[in-house]
Amino acid sequence: MTDTHLTPSGSRRLLPIMAAALVLLGLVCFISLLIGAGNIGPADALAVLLGQGSDDARFVVGELRLPRTLVGVVVGATLAISGALLQAVTRNPLAEPGLLGVSAGSAFAVALALALGASAATLKVSVAQIGALLGCLCALGAARLRGVGDDPVRLVLAGAALSSLLIALTSLLLLIDLGTADEIRFWIVGSVAGRSLDHLSEIFPSVLLAGVITVLIARPLAALALGERVAVGLGHRPGLVRLLAVLSVALLVGGATAVAGPIAFVGLVVPFVARSLAGPDIRRTLWLCLPLGPLVVVIADILSRVLVQPSELPLGVLTAMIGAPVLVAVVRARRLPTL
Amino acid sequence: MQSHSSSIQPPGRPVTAQAPAGTWLIRLPANGSLLLDKRALFAVLSLSVLLLGAVVLALCLGTTNYSPAEVIEALLGGGNPMTAFILNELRLPRVVAGILSGAGFALAGCLMQTLARNRLATPGIIGIDNGATAFAIASVVGLVTSLAPPEMALIGAATATALAFGLAGGAGTRGYRFIIAGIGIGALFGAFTQLMLARAHIDVANQAYPWTVGSLNARPENAVLYMAIGLAVGIVAALALARALKVLRFSEPVALGLGVRVNACRYLSLVLAVTLTALAVAVAGPVGLVGLIGPEIARHLSSTRTVPLASSALAGALVMVLADTVGRMMLSPVEVPVGIVTAIVGGPYLLWILLVSPRNTP
Repeated sequence: MTDTHLTPSGSRRLLPIMAAALVLLGLVCFISLLIGAGNIGPADALAVLLGQGSDDARFVVGELRLPRTLVGVVVGATLAISGALLQAVTRNPLAEPGLLGVSAGSAFAVALALALGASAATLKVSVAQIGALLGCLCALGAARLRGVGDDPVRLVLAGAALSSLLIALTSLLLLIDLGTADEIRFWIVGSVAGRSLDHLSEIFPSVLLAGVITVLIARPLAALALGERVAVGLGHRPGLVRLLAVLSVALLVGGATAVAGPIAFVGLVVPFVARSLAGPDIRRTLWLCLPLGPLVVVIADILSRVLVQPSELPLGVLTAMIGAPVLVAVVRARRLPTL
Repeated sequence: MQSHSSSIQPPGRPVTAQAPAGTWLIRLPANGSLLLDKRALFAVLSLSVLLLGAVVLALCLGTTNYSPAEVIEALLGGGNPMTAFILNELRLPRVVAGILSGAGFALAGCLMQTLARNRLATPGIIGIDNGATAFAIASVVGLVTSLAPPEMALIGAATATALAFGLAGGAGTRGYRFIIAGIGIGALFGAFTQLMLARAHIDVANQAYPWTVGSLNARPENAVLYMAIGLAVGIVAALALARALKVLRFSEPVALGLGVRVNACRYLSLVLAVTLTALAVAVAGPVGLVGLIGPEIARHLSSTRTVPLASSALAGALVMVLADTVGRMMLSPVEVPVGIVTAIVGGPYLLWILLVSPRNTP
């Protein structure tokens, strides 16, 4: 994605940061395998990794913690990239799938589908993605409205309103249909606990497709940041690019929500940090979101296991604790960072 | 230079005060007078009548329906003991709680909107609801044993406000950063609430759950009492501030020039708004959007000349009682919490305001 002949000094700077982030990610994943809420302590887990260890420990590390860590990695990457894309498309540094109601739309779609009689496993992913797509289109439509698009705050407020409406409708649905409520009670809260690799394989095709689309539109998005006229002059088609970006966001957010439930703030925190490290070029930001997103999510997951031992906190709580101060920090800057 | 005592001659006819169009002038003894806006008065009267109707409706409808005659009989102490029990012990406290908390939310919303000059400003949007809830739950789950939930709710609301102010950095209530900071703080407090509920024992957590949702079911007695006192004080204070608030809607130099003590008025209004919200949350939990819908209704009915404080309170009470009745009847016998009903009805309305109204209209 980065053209080496364009800004040689820039790409040289990105590589060390990427490398450092990847090393950090590896370290954090390792720690995630060691720590847990149960009674398999770090020493036992280390023994498993070295080849020995009791059956219990091997089960916990291999069947519970490893898939969980991998799911966390994938969820982190997808949510971070979708956040960066959404911010580029709406030209709003505060745009985030959770805040704008995309995740809530996903969750509501799944709840609705279950209430209408679909079986839990099969349809979940595609339904979640359709819900995310509708939420995205709403967000994009709102952002294009005169007066709302120019004002970052209005868009976030509209997103918050849509989000709370969808959450209320979902609660209503869960009250009406207690069977559905039972099935998705743990999922709706947002967590990577108990997720297996099967879940990952379900969303793999759509996430791959979204990745391909993102790679294709990365360069047009960078041109779009220079303004619509410049982009058109350079031969890109802004409308098509936006639509493809929205499709990508829907696939990514829908996939992440299908696996882990609605999780907010990741798509806000990670692109913010990535942008401050990588600069305004969306391509570099996207590259950097790839290791940073998983980093944030896995750290949040580790904390969720540690803070309320022996039980666990939902991941969404941790991301809110990390993300809300970042939101406040973004707003406190003298000017809202422009894209 | 000639100095002659010039006296300004009064006009030929005696000068009497003329009431502006649309108002009533009531003369008080000792040269006083009271200027009442006709349309505002009409709004207050019609809302009171509607509220009365809603109360009767709420008392009549339910898993068993009663006729108005039976309701009145039971309220006066006679009639079937079973009916009297259901009405006096179950439904009446609920309706009273609804009236008080609805009025509190709406009055606080009206004050906040006047301060912020923005019809979207509600205390809930800046995280006060979540702050009050978080602190109240801290008391319910036993983290804080010395203070009861209503008092904790007050402290929580004050903390959330202070945080929103402090973190927003300048521009005070008028900036948009205040609102975004409030959303962040609300999310943070929500996360803390979840944290506390997760650490608590399952029985305690179940007990605390209604606090998070906004429901008029089985409200703590002392909270309702506090709310009643708070609302009485609040309404008196708000009416005393009404005149200053009316002028405050102009720019600050104009208000100062007209002799209004702007800072004192703003500070007092904010304190009042926060207190009313905290007390209302202690009674009903974080019911969103009443502080938005109530003042909007009041503004439509009342004239733009006044700040519709009394009408907002009445409209808020009306909305709360109606929403609770709908919540009870909708999926009978399952009860939908009043917070969900107001979110479902108020959400689209809020979206409409945000998306459709022209840009510079606050």
